[in-house]
Amino acid sequence: MVHALDEIRRVLVPNGILIDLRPTLDHWPIEVASAREIRETGRMLDFPLGLADDEAANQSIADAEHKGWFIREQEEFFPFFYSWDSPSELEEWIATEWHEFTGLDDRTKQATRSIWASADADARVRVKVKMLITRWRVAAQNLKAVSQS
Amino acid sequence: MTVQKDRERNETKHLHKFADFTEKRVLEIGCGEGRLTWQYAKETRVTFATDLDPDALRVATIDRPADLESRVYFSLAKSEQLPFSKETFDLAILAWSF
Repeated sequence: MVHALDEIRRVLVPNGILIDLRPTLDHWPIEVASAREIRETGRMLDFPLGLADDEAANQSIADAEHKGWFIREQEEFFPFFYSWDSPSELEEWIATEWHEFTGLDDRTKQATRSIWASADADARVRVKVKMLITRWRVAAQNLKAVSQS
Repeated sequence: MTVQKDRERNETKHLHKFADFTEKRVLEIGCGEGRLTWQYAKETRVTFATDLDPDALRVATIDRPADLESRVYFSLAKSEQLPFSKETFDLAILAWSF
């Protein structure tokens, strides 16, 4: 990813802006949500591969900042919801799309099914993904180096 | 299995809170099927969106609204070897890239 950041810096104009937008593992909450109420049923499991990916991304960004390529201007976490009509659809999604970096234990699966079964008819199952958004500006001190390359 | 992503539009709100896209030349890296691209591209002067997945890019191209055909372009490219000259873009988005 460091090489990608170097490339991005190259194609951006002086004082150009980079928006880094990515999910970060943090035992994402599972919720059953209806118009009337939201109930947390458990948390996702964070697997080593996913945590390693997060760490690698954080390290690459830190390296780019340390090299003086970009200046961090603004940063914030926000929730991003994945929603399904039923717990079985959630479980299928995790098994096919997310199985390498996150998972569900049996207790949380059972709690989610149980709470969803007794919830209002409009209830959906959702995962609250923790998103990180950061605005970076191309550092002026590197513009000369880039223009000479 | 039908998944809905960001029904609450939190991502779109934060993207616009963090960046002004008006008349900007924008590069999006990791665009996938263009889900995020459609949230801002109408405001840009031009958008180039790249991904490593040709199937996703095919879907993005098919889904591209007619009014964006002359403003949004998709290309297969590695983020480490971007096929653009230096200082081409005002703004870059590194989207969901680990």
